[in-house]
Formats: sequence, C-alpha cells, structure tokens
Amino acid sequence: MDAVYSIIPAGVFSQVFVGLSRTTILFIVASGLTLILGVLRIPNVAHGSLYMIGAFTAFSVTKLTGGGSEGFWLALVIAPLAVACISLIAERGMFQFLYEREHLMLLLLTFAISLIFGDLVKLVWGSEYKSVPVPHMFQGFVPLFGGLPFPLYNLFLLAAGPVVAILLWLLTNKTKMGKIARAAAVDREMVGAVGINVSRVFAIVFVIGCYLAGLGGVLVAPTVSVTLGMDHNLIMEAFLIVIMGGLGNIWGALLGALIFGLTQSLGILIWPKFGIIFPYLAVVAVLLFRPTGLLKSTW
Amino acid sequence: MMKKRVLLSLSMVCIAGLFFFGLPTGCSPAAQNTIKVGIVDTYTGPATTFTMDVQDGFKLAVNEINAKGGVLGKKIEFATRDEKFKPDIGLAMAKELVLNEKVDILMGTINSATALAVSDFAKKEKIPFFVTFSKSEKIIGEKGHQYVFNMNENTAMIGKAAAISLAKKPYVKYWIAGDDYEYGHAIAETLWNNLKKIKPQVQKAGESWWKVGESDFTPYITQILAAKPDFIIVATGGSGMVNFQKAAKATGLSQKIPFYQHTAIELSVLKPQEMNAPEGVFGTANYFFYYPDTPSNKAFVNEFKTAYNREPRIGALSGYMTAKFIAEGYKKAGKLDKEALIKALENMSLESPVGPMAIRGCDHQLELPMYFGVTAKNPKYGYLVAGDIQVIQAKDYMPTCEEVLKVRK
Repeated sequence: MDAVYSIIPAGVFSQVFVGLSRTTILFIVASGLTLILGVLRIPNVAHGSLYMIGAFTAFSVTKLTGGGSEGFWLALVIAPLAVACISLIAERGMFQFLYEREHLMLLLLTFAISLIFGDLVKLVWGSEYKSVPVPHMFQGFVPLFGGLPFPLYNLFLLAAGPVVAILLWLLTNKTKMGKIARAAAVDREMVGAVGINVSRVFAIVFVIGCYLAGLGGVLVAPTVSVTLGMDHNLIMEAFLIVIMGGLGNIWGALLGALIFGLTQSLGILIWPKFGIIFPYLAVVAVLLFRPTGLLKSTW
Repeated sequence: MMKKRVLLSLSMVCIAGLFFFGLPTGCSPAAQNTIKVGIVDTYTGPATTFTMDVQDGFKLAVNEINAKGGVLGKKIEFATRDEKFKPDIGLAMAKELVLNEKVDILMGTINSATALAVSDFAKKEKIPFFVTFSKSEKIIGEKGHQYVFNMNENTAMIGKAAAISLAKKPYVKYWIAGDDYEYGHAIAETLWNNLKKIKPQVQKAGESWWKVGESDFTPYITQILAAKPDFIIVATGGSGMVNFQKAAKATGLSQKIPFYQHTAIELSVLKPQEMNAPEGVFGTANYFFYYPDTPSNKAFVNEFKTAYNREPRIGALSGYMTAKFIAEGYKKAGKLDKEALIKALENMSLESPVGPMAIRGCDHQLELPMYFGVTAKNPKYGYLVAGDIQVIQAKDYMPTCEEVLKVRK
C-alpha cells in the first residue's frame, strides 16, 4: 500500500470513501424523490420534511427504548414505516385527486405542505436540538488508509447504500408492480386502458418513495443534530441530484449523488477554503452540456 | 344562495389571511397606562431554540416587575412578532409595532441582518432598540447609534476573549474553519487578529469554510486531520455546533487535535448529546445555570425552572436583564421619556443573577462576563458540562470605547 500512497496520498482515498458514505444518504433520499417525480410527476418539495420526520421519529424511538444505541436498530425499522403511513394518508386523502394538475401548482402545494410539516414537527418535538447516538457496534473509528481514522458508522453507510440500490433495482425491474410503474410513467392512460388499477400502483410508488425519505432520515440521524430546518438543507441538494441525473431515473439519482458526494469531498481536499462550490460547479457543468440530465429522463 | 357563497369565500379569505400573516399576539389597543415593548424575533425554524429563552426570560422579569406595581405606576406590556429569520419581514413587523401598536421600545432579534435593519429604523424613529441575541459587532460598532443597546456578546468580544485564553496554551500551528457567512468569518478573523497580536509566533496552517447548515463535517475533518495542525478554531453556530462535535467524536478528531468553538461548552449544545459529546473541547459561553454557584444564580434558575420546566440559558439571562434595565431606567429617569431613558441607562449598573452588570455609556454594550472552559463529564448531570472554568472580566475582553467609536460612521 505504501507504494500506492507515494503516488496518490492516503488522504485522497480517505476523502473518496467519506464522499461515498455521504453519497449513500443522498442517493437514498434522491431516489425516492425521483421515483415519485418519474411515475407520479409530482415535484414533492415535502420530501425533505418526510426525511426530517424520519430523523425525529428515530430520536423518539431511541429515547423510548431507554436512549441506548440499540434503539437505533428498532428505529431503523419503525421510523421509515411511520413516514410511509403518513405518506399513505397524504396520497389517499389528497394527492390521488391531483395527478392531473399543473406541475407549478403541485410544486406550490407540496411547498405549503412542507411548511405545515415544519410547524407540526415543532409542535410535536419542540425546538431544542436532538441527538441520536451512534449504535454501539459502530461507535468510534478504525485507522484506514495510511493510519487516517475512518468512522465506523460511515463504513456501515457504505454497506447500506448498495443494499438499497439492489433492492430498488429488483423492485423496479423484477417485480410486476415495478414494470407497471415504469410503464405508467411513460403512458399512464394506456396502462389504465389495459385494465390495470393505476391509482393503486401510484399509491404504492408514492409510499415507497416516501419510505426512502424516512429511511434516509434515520440513517443520517446518528451523524448530525436532529433539528428543524434539516429538511430545507437536504431538499435542495436532492433536487439538484435528480436534475443532474435525469428526472425520474433512479440510476440518474445514483449517478447524481455520486457526483455530488465525490466532488464535495475531493473539492475540500483540493481547495478547503472554497470546497463548497465544487458540487455546484458540477451541476452547472452537467446542465450546460446535458440540459436534460446525464441519463434518460422519463419526462 | 349567492350571498351565502360570497360570505363563505370572504370568510375563507380572512382565515387564509390570518394564517398568512400569522396570528399576532397582544393585539390590545394602545393604552396610555402601560409601557409597551415590541419584540421582533424568529419564532419559526431552528433559531426558536434560542429565541424562546429570550422571550421567557423577559416575561419572567416583566411579571415580577408588574407584580410589584410596575414602573412609575404603569405596567409593562409586550407584543411579539415572528420575523421568520427574514430581515424584510422583521423590518415590516417593527414598523407595524411602532405605527399600530404604538410601542415605546423595540427588542429582538436573533438575525443580525434584521437587527441592523430594525436598528436603522429605530434610529430614524428615535425609539430605543434592545438587541437580545444577534452577534454582529456592526450593531454597536460601524452601524451603532444612541438608540441601540446590545444586551449580549458580539463577535468582536467572542474573538478577543477566546484569543486571550488560547494564547496561554502551547499551540502554534492553527487551522481555521467555519460557517461561510458573516458570523463565522467575523469570529475567526477577530480571534486570529487578536491571537497574532498577543502571541506573534502563531502560524496559520490552512482554512476550510463550509456552507451554513452543513450537516456532514466528516469530509472536512478527514482533510484537516491529514494536514496535522496543533489546534483548530471552529467558527460555527446554530445546529452546526452539535453536528461538528458529533463528527469530531466519530472521526476521533476530538482525541487527536484539540479545537475551540464559541458555545461548545453551552447547555444547548451539550444537553442533546447526553453522555456522547466529545470531552476536552474548548469553548466560551456567557452563562451557565450551574456557575457561579451563588444564591442569586440559584434563585434565578429555580424561578425560571418553576415557570418553564427547563434550565435557563444565555438568552434567558439576556431577556431577563433587558426587562430589568428598562424598568430601572424609567425609574431613574422619573418620567416616560425615551431620551431620558437612554440617558438614565448609560453607565447604569444592576445586580444580575451572576453579579453586577453595567451598560457601557460610550457604545451601549452590556458588560457581561465571559467564561472559558472545556467540555467534561460531571457525575451530577446526565450530559457533559463546562469544566475548568476561567472567568474573563468584561473590561479585559471588550473592545475599548475608542476602538468602537473609531469605526462608527
């Protein structure tokens, strides 16, 4: 390894892996967003709120199980399901009547919903910062790459990313439901005309997309402070990733998240003072040369 | 039928309007028999964790004052407005409070840009304005005037206080990192300039700046670790405080390279992390509910806890003292006159829960002590607290009158 480090510094490897673990969270959230965008054509600004609710629910679950780090595993199961339940109510109660509306109107509506969710979270959980402890087995760090410490929890995230990606691939490509959803994304009326209950498929897709937002919220919770406003920070990045990758394309979301995560972490290495601009430069570059996104958009 | 529908839609519009403009509190018509204070502050979003402290501390003191018969026979009344962390809304709210509610005094806000906008308005309208949580040094410096009072610490004070304490430590090679906005840059810059003045041999190894609200600090920390500085100055605020500490613990940074953050040792940052916060982080803060362990501080803590079921933090003290100064200022002036109030407040000293506090005459800055300490476990609490506390007196870390007035325009 020392020979390798003499060509490429160990810091670069460390930075790439940190970037990849960040990619995991971005991908999970952005894939949910793009799924809903592609199939239901809803630019769901409230997606960030669901991510926030996922994180807050994770906090409550770990707290109720005694504040121990093992509560996190329970939260990993319960919190995304709770978010899925909320989204099911929202879909059946509201969105199913609005699929034919203008995108701008849906954008405004979901923005309004995100504000309402923000206030509801404040009512339920209060305005104090919350913190979810890192699960016991992933506390601390290991020396990787020339002895530079690497957080164990980030290794867990690195493993979680591909699992979610493979499950999503199986769901969209290998199940009947996934095939219908992909068909409905291209031509909704045709799918309805052959006797398939499109409304039900849409509801399922919407719930799965929102489940992913909740899952992202739980996974990010141990690394950050769970606080009001975390929704706004994320939703912008998620939309940029979705736009970069191509609207509605899950693999586009993966590619976009990879670009976003890696340009950020490597940008910090190259020029720490202005590290923040690199992901946005990448977005600008992509949109200049491929205005419809890197991969094929379903729109 | 038609009429009914019109009525229905009209009422819908009214309800929508209420939601849009928020439900203002304290809508009573202006009475001559009260002293009215208008509070403009952020009551939505993450800043609420600090602004509610200010409001509750203020309310506590106002209730005390009113129970004793008020000031010059008049009760103190207050109205709050939510500026949603937006300067334009904040300014509109301040104008509304002055024009419609006829408030005598303005106070707030956590947003420095709003504070500067409201301060400018207060100057034109000749209304005293008490700044309770904004940290910009411009408020009493560059943009200072005789109607504005700063009731909390500012970035110039924070930077100088930290420099005084850090200069005593053996570190030489410093890394500077922070939120890429005014607060972060202002703290880092004053700290660095003061540190260089006190200890000329310090070196800057590098800088990193992240966007405000950055949640994942791991890539920044791994990069700093690779650069191996002796010490890191971390100029973050808000939820970035907790985020950075969590990442510092997860990456092992806190065990390898010591670092400093303003408010790192404060309750709002340490309590949410319970026993998982990193030990040995240097920080400064202006108030602890457990220090100094004096009867007057204990009494204040008990009173606040009974009323709101939580411990007071710096905002609570700031709000509490603002009300006390307003009341005592009017008493000393002997009449309800704004100019007389301002004259009375200059160089006035009051007993606070943590000892005497004065408003400096030249620039209207509250003279409050600063504490430097390090995060540490304490068997008395279920979370980390400040250990090894050193008190830095106001006169030692406040910029001098000449320095402040020199930059005023």
